[in-house]
Amino acid sequence: MRTVNQRISPYLYLIPSLILLVAFTYYPILSSVYISLHEWNLFTPEPKFVGFENYTILFGDPLFWRVARNTLVYVAVTIPITMAMALIMAILLNERLGWLRNAYRVAAFYPTMIPMAAAAMLWVWLLNPGIGLINHYLASFGVPRIEWLYNMDWALPAIMMTAIWKNFGYFMLIYLAGLQNLPGELYEAASLEGAGFLHKVRLITLPLLAPTTVFVVVVGIITSFNVFDLVHLMTQGGPGNRTNVLVYYIYQHAFRFADYGMGSALTVVFVVMILAVILVLMRLLERRTHYEV
Amino acid sequence: MRSRPATFSAALHRLGLNRLLLHMILLIVSTITAAPYFWALSTSLKLRRDVFTPVPQWIPPNPTLQNYVDLFYMAPFGLFLVNTILVVSGILVIQLITAPLAAYVFARLRFAGSGFLFGLFLVQMMMPIHAVVVPNYLTINAMGLLDTRLAMMLPFWASGYAVFLLRQAFRQVPRDFEDAALIDGCSGLRFLWHVLLPLAKPTVIAFSLISVVTHWNDFLWPLIVTDSPAVRTLTIGLAMFVQQESGADWPVLMAGTIFVTLPLLLLFLVYQRKFIESFMYAGLKG
Repeated sequence: MRTVNQRISPYLYLIPSLILLVAFTYYPILSSVYISLHEWNLFTPEPKFVGFENYTILFGDPLFWRVARNTLVYVAVTIPITMAMALIMAILLNERLGWLRNAYRVAAFYPTMIPMAAAAMLWVWLLNPGIGLINHYLASFGVPRIEWLYNMDWALPAIMMTAIWKNFGYFMLIYLAGLQNLPGELYEAASLEGAGFLHKVRLITLPLLAPTTVFVVVVGIITSFNVFDLVHLMTQGGPGNRTNVLVYYIYQHAFRFADYGMGSALTVVFVVMILAVILVLMRLLERRTHYEV
Repeated sequence: MRSRPATFSAALHRLGLNRLLLHMILLIVSTITAAPYFWALSTSLKLRRDVFTPVPQWIPPNPTLQNYVDLFYMAPFGLFLVNTILVVSGILVIQLITAPLAAYVFARLRFAGSGFLFGLFLVQMMMPIHAVVVPNYLTINAMGLLDTRLAMMLPFWASGYAVFLLRQAFRQVPRDFEDAALIDGCSGLRFLWHVLLPLAKPTVIAFSLISVVTHWNDFLWPLIVTDSPAVRTLTIGLAMFVQQESGADWPVLMAGTIFVTLPLLLLFLVYQRKFIESFMYAGLKG
């Protein structure tokens, strides 16, 4: 016989978490949608219902499309490079390397431990056009001086470099964990069949790592869509909005211009975009996985 | 057919290369990834005039700690450190109360609506953190909590991720343990506290490390809910310091950057294995 106490205790234990989840995750999701249908800014201090007007203004603004494009370029470039570097490093580090292995692993992983804000400052210094280390070493290869963060075309790539340096070590570790779970017998069998190293990587390692890759892709998408700290500290969205990304644009609207209606509309667009990209990629990955297995 | 061992070096061998090449590749990559930090460290130990040299000097010719002394005169970095420690531990302590309770319920008890409720926790885990900053700012504002340390902690007190990890760990504890404990009169919360949590220690440590690193490095949320230096954390303090200095004094700026990263990096170097295992394990399960 279950007592009353036993029947209500599960809900009792869940209450602290549930109150917090509702207040800071679920209510905000609904409230973003609700506020996005209102005009609410410095000139209209009380929210006024305007339907989809915020969205109409947003989609009619060329700057929004510039920001959306910047964000998608950032995501589409950083994720494949980060993943490729992570995977290659993981495969190399999975070899017998003696005590040096640990040193290599630390060198690749330590950027995960430092704040994005600090990473931004390290790279602002490295990328300094006049006395920065990067321009100095490039000059010794005869590359002319690049203005990096002050140049329309180089600012976004410079931020992407910083992000790749900061993030690949974490994904490398996830791949290393995946590699260590792969069955050794398969490799032995493949060796007996005379398969070479690259064959084994293509036919055994990559297909078996597919679940890890799905995880890495999803986490990678969420992480890279959330890029803010780097932009805020390295370029403030400039020059000429060439590095302005969605979260920075939300920040500008909601917290610089105190335009909560527009900030919320942007938030809704932001979430829809992430979900769309994840869904499309999952479809693609699923198809690939079925073919290979 | 000749059999070949399944190693990368064997493949290199076939190409006429050897293990040395593998080490060389890794050494080059490691040097490149380590360079930014060492360069900043070196800059932070230099005199200002030694920064502007035509050839980069990796070893400071006149090493000095003066930049760190100046840093503390120019901005209250000691206070920022205290605030960061308070916020990070304030988040973790409450997470370690709310999460085990919820994880215990989902791992061990049967009740109506458990699937749906667990789903609610999972959605929070997948939620992009920056998607809720605008409404959460309005909530914190309405609660009158702007510019407090509490504001920086409150939204993170419930963690779907922690609940997910702990639930996995609790489920691995055999039923027999529970029955045995029950006979000894140990049930419910006491069973959770005395049996489940100690057995799930690796998971608790893994989650704790990840939580500390995550919130030590938080930026956007603390930036928008704080306004005065008295409550600011290290990352926000650094950002404000950079704006106030508007560039130029690179040795002091790098001293600030190094100071912000140092506590966690030292911890990481001392407890490398634990950190790496935790991030591997928790990442894989997540």
